[in-house]
Amino acid sequence: MSKLSRRDFLKVIAAGASGALLSGCGQPAPAPTAAPPTRTPLPPPTLVPSSATPLPTAAPTAATTATPKPIPELVVARGDKPEEMIRQAMKALGGMERFVKKGAEVIVKPNMCVGYRTYEYAATTNPWLVGGIVKLCLEAGAKRVRVMDFPFDGTQQQAYTQSGVEKEVKAAGGLMEFMAAFKYTKVKLQNALELKESEIYDDFLKPDNVIINVPIAKHHAAARLTLGMKNFMGVIVDRDVLHHNLGQRIADLNTKIKPTLTVMDGIRILMARGPQGGSLNDVKKLNTIAVSQDTVAVDSYATQWFNLKPDDIAYIAAGAKMGLGKTDWKSLKVEEIAV
Amino acid sequence: MFPKRLKWQYNPAILSRQAIQWIAFIAFAALFVWTRRNDGLPFDIVNIPFRLNPLVTFAEAIAGRVLLTGSALALITVALTLVFGRAWCGWLCPLGTTLDLFEPKRGLKIKVPEGWRNVKHILLIAIVVAAIFGNATLLIFDPITILFRAFTAGVYPALDEGVRQIETLTYQNFPEAGEWVMTVDSFLRPNWLPIRSLIYRDGWVYVAMLIVIIALNWIAPRFWCRYLCPLGSMLGLLSKVALVKRRVTQECPGCLACTRACPTGIIKPENIYESDPSECTMCMNCTSICPQLGNEFAFAPAPAKWNTYDPQRRQTLAIFGAATLGVFLLKKNPFAQLIRKYFIQPPGGRENNLLSKCIRCGECVRVCPTNAIQPSVTEAGAEGLWTPILVTRLGQCDFGCNSCGQVCPVQAIPPLSLEEKRKTVIGIAVIDKDTCLAWGKNTPCIVCEEMCPLSPKAITLEEVYVRKDRDETLLIQRPVVHNDKCIGCGICEHKCPVEGEAAIRVQAMETVKI
Repeated sequence: MSKLSRRDFLKVIAAGASGALLSGCGQPAPAPTAAPPTRTPLPPPTLVPSSATPLPTAAPTAATTATPKPIPELVVARGDKPEEMIRQAMKALGGMERFVKKGAEVIVKPNMCVGYRTYEYAATTNPWLVGGIVKLCLEAGAKRVRVMDFPFDGTQQQAYTQSGVEKEVKAAGGLMEFMAAFKYTKVKLQNALELKESEIYDDFLKPDNVIINVPIAKHHAAARLTLGMKNFMGVIVDRDVLHHNLGQRIADLNTKIKPTLTVMDGIRILMARGPQGGSLNDVKKLNTIAVSQDTVAVDSYATQWFNLKPDDIAYIAAGAKMGLGKTDWKSLKVEEIAV
Repeated sequence: MFPKRLKWQYNPAILSRQAIQWIAFIAFAALFVWTRRNDGLPFDIVNIPFRLNPLVTFAEAIAGRVLLTGSALALITVALTLVFGRAWCGWLCPLGTTLDLFEPKRGLKIKVPEGWRNVKHILLIAIVVAAIFGNATLLIFDPITILFRAFTAGVYPALDEGVRQIETLTYQNFPEAGEWVMTVDSFLRPNWLPIRSLIYRDGWVYVAMLIVIIALNWIAPRFWCRYLCPLGSMLGLLSKVALVKRRVTQECPGCLACTRACPTGIIKPENIYESDPSECTMCMNCTSICPQLGNEFAFAPAPAKWNTYDPQRRQTLAIFGAATLGVFLLKKNPFAQLIRKYFIQPPGGRENNLLSKCIRCGECVRVCPTNAIQPSVTEAGAEGLWTPILVTRLGQCDFGCNSCGQVCPVQAIPPLSLEEKRKTVIGIAVIDKDTCLAWGKNTPCIVCEEMCPLSPKAITLEEVYVRKDRDETLLIQRPVVHNDKCIGCGICEHKCPVEGEAAIRVQAMETVKI
């Protein structure tokens, strides 16, 4: 063997370590953002002052000019092309640009709960819907779009491929992120009633990130339904602790994780034996999606697909009580579109 | 006597040997890393090191009473040995290369009697005799399995955990470096390290075994290969009739250079520098160091002579008797007579007589994505030491995985298709109604039902009203296992939120079914 003296070895190590440190230092510091990021519901785009086109912002009161259509708060799209459905739904909501600014980091959280079911079984979110969202975000100028979930059975790799999501996301130009153990961060949930602390994947905590929640509506024995609020159980470490008083604790979790958008996948829904199903007899084709900034409202809307009421679902009721959103979705401006 | 260090870089023979040793070792390590589901190499490729190994394939064929076409690869090694002697040991064996790597400059001054070379033959004969009676326990001493087990349950998880700790510390303490850590991590995982943290019971034992074998190098170089290795014994006995052997020429100056350079210490002045082909690893140190052309490797088909430390008739008979008694002692083990309640084998292993066929290599342990498969310590009895068992508290038998049966080099775990595996009953879940939250504590919990991957589920919920306190009743859902549906995958046990031992446990089906 060629001999490497201890001294040489230490030199190499030192050089390597300092190189590593330097490359770390070389990372550009996060550019100071002009405007502080907001998590509050965004104003409709017509009210956003645009520096590029200084058009008169006075409200068009003249009868001759067409009054701008009010932006709906909940959009329901029906059709059989998931990608087109989300495109039309987002157009109705004022375009994806309203939520995803140029250079934004987007995190998409579909439901990929197991690694052994294909999308037909309605255990995992429709892959074309996720792909469509990724595409819209990139078109809106997102820096990158990452898609992730942590299955309870089977590996992440298996879940990503088996669900078909990986293929569509990659085709759309997005990234599948394997959730890294070191990114889970212990945080206090100040506004929670029961779950005061949890280890959460830090991308869901960064205020700059745009989080798009893409749950699939499914049956679940304890919670009765798995919907948007429950979908965030996929991004925490200790899921066991949630099972005591599930409803309240899911609502607690949703006080910390605030999605920018929730897209409910009602294309194929699982009516029984959830969350993983396994029989096509339990699957119902609904060809519907519902989109809103208000997760509670979307979840409430989806309960009717199962002949349930929002208050039947403990976490929706708890979330509404905590002021996380509206269960009375009929009071919102709802737009239904057919694609 | 420790061999004098050679100036290998100037010698083509030594250079090519070391190159091949490195290539073989790196290939072994690479096949180890790529032994995994989804994105690894094909399972028929990754288990080649074991199928090339004539000791394990031969013992498995006898003990398991089955000839596998895949094991024919071992004939390559046999053929190689019949031509070049123990070249496997000197040029290919990854454990041998590891021992060369840790060759001490100065060893301890302990003299090992020549008779010790006999130990490896004793081991080999005992393995063969035990195999005749359907036992494969002593295959734990196969060199390739020793190295693979140590990699699987010790070296690799430790490396992974180390990297994980560094990543976590950097990421959590230096947020500016976050992107950089992610870049490194996405390069490392899943290509080189696992995404999921690995858990193995008693991983240190397998590393300790390797460390002891390396430490013995300080008594004599390649102590393991000289005195203990049963595969070395098998190849050594074949080498007696190998076509190419070392021989001393008339030009031998008698300078002791080859004696000092021989890693197995078999070149001795008292034997006029001749060597025993069954101890020679064909490393070519002797021919490379000789100042003259004093020795050479040449065509010499005449069988080599039998030495005092080679197996003798009387001794062989004695081992035969002792090994037979040993096997029957294991078989008469009272624990073998009882059905062990929590002795759960990988899918299909029980029906396939796994204990007789398993070579204890740890491929299934390595490939299992949930770490449900663990080497048995006590669960399978002494007879089944380090054979795979399912520890479903640590991980479930993944409903979408059938890798263990596919990767097994000797089909001790049958190569079931995914459809077959999903129907193969490996055990049955039993609820402990005292510790179960829903049954024993009237606390809502349906995790086991939720997790059950079968359709229809093998666990369903019954709804009952229970008295919460004096004047309040509560509707509670209680899990019930349907024995006719449960396959014992154990995800219910793995995910059961009760601390410590789960309130639902997979048991051997005989202990459940009437």
